Amino acid sequence: MKSLFNILVVSLLLALSSAYATPEQDKETFQNFYTEMFPDISLEGFGDGVYALDQDARDQWEAMNDFPPYEEDLEEGEELFNTPFSNGKTYANCFENDGKNIRQNYPLFDTKQNKVITLELAINNCRESNGEELLRYKKGEIAKLSAYMTYTSKDSLINVKTPDSKEALAAYEAGKQYYYSKRGQLNFSCANCHTQNAGRRARSETLSPALGHPTHFPVYRMKWAGFGTLQRRIDSCNKQVRAQPLSGQSEDYRNLEYFLTYMSNGLPINGPASRK
Amino acid sequence: MKIKTILLPLLLTLICSTAYAQTSSEAEQAIQSADKLWAATITAGHEWNTIKPLVAQAKQALKTNDFSAAITLANRASEQSVLALIQAEHEKTNWVNNLPK
Repeated sequence: MKSLFNILVVSLLLALSSAYATPEQDKETFQNFYTEMFPDISLEGFGDGVYALDQDARDQWEAMNDFPPYEEDLEEGEELFNTPFSNGKTYANCFENDGKNIRQNYPLFDTKQNKVITLELAINNCRESNGEELLRYKKGEIAKLSAYMTYTSKDSLINVKTPDSKEALAAYEAGKQYYYSKRGQLNFSCANCHTQNAGRRARSETLSPALGHPTHFPVYRMKWAGFGTLQRRIDSCNKQVRAQPLSGQSEDYRNLEYFLTYMSNGLPINGPASRK
Repeated sequence: MKIKTILLPLLLTLICSTAYAQTSSEAEQAIQSADKLWAATITAGHEWNTIKPLVAQAKQALKTNDFSAAITLANRASEQSVLALIQAEHEKTNWVNNLPK
């Protein structure tokens, strides 16, 4: 009886210590979890998602990438990026380094607005400040633009800054709680599939590890026949567990993206990528 | 005899219209309650995507005077909303159980 009590106390303490860990400790635990689970995969290998785990699928994927299905959309993204607004300015005027090689720094926490800014939100903020209409989130032009900006950031290591203010930490913690909370009629959390069961199968599909998810978005998905942002993919997950997807750039989604990307800090950007 | 033939249809009409009114208001009430619970799940951040279609179908059934279907569907939506709210409450503290160990 006493030993059972001890086990319970130790478990409770372990759970509490993980719940109140610093972002840096979280990241270490998160990355170690996957590298221990899949010792044959290098840290950067996780950026290939399910294709790092399944050789058959990888062979098909590599063959498909001889002529990437997203090439036209990517070119369109470049054209959109370089097309001046009606005031003569371009996206390059809104971002540091002329908008090139910056994907790895997003999402970031804006201390003036006290909120998480994803790259797609920054794109629309740029349009708004130049008197242009806002683009619809998750797919279409915004995904093409974002894909081009990701392309210009290839091989740069994800470098989301450690939340260093009370507000940034609160946003990070909210994203973390979203990731680990069960939701939908099927009562699944993101972690149930992409952490605890990564590498296992749900019907015919292998569940990808969450580590490395943000490295390759926007993704050109065959199912979509076009690019979709990370938030569009999260929508699909939510639908699969019968939870109502949230609107693009909602606070919960931005916070989740913030947490997820921070967990992949140090991994190289390898997007845009194609997926089934 | 004549009075009987007049009163009987009248009585039947009265009974039917009362039942109609009752069922109609019951359906409206069930939908109102479903709407309220559904809104609560959105506020809690745990909306299920199965609830909205049920509420929409209940409202459609009400429009076509299919009160019994409207009540059934609205009640089903309410039941699911209650479960979603229980989930939201449960996850406030239990999300930590999903952390990597």
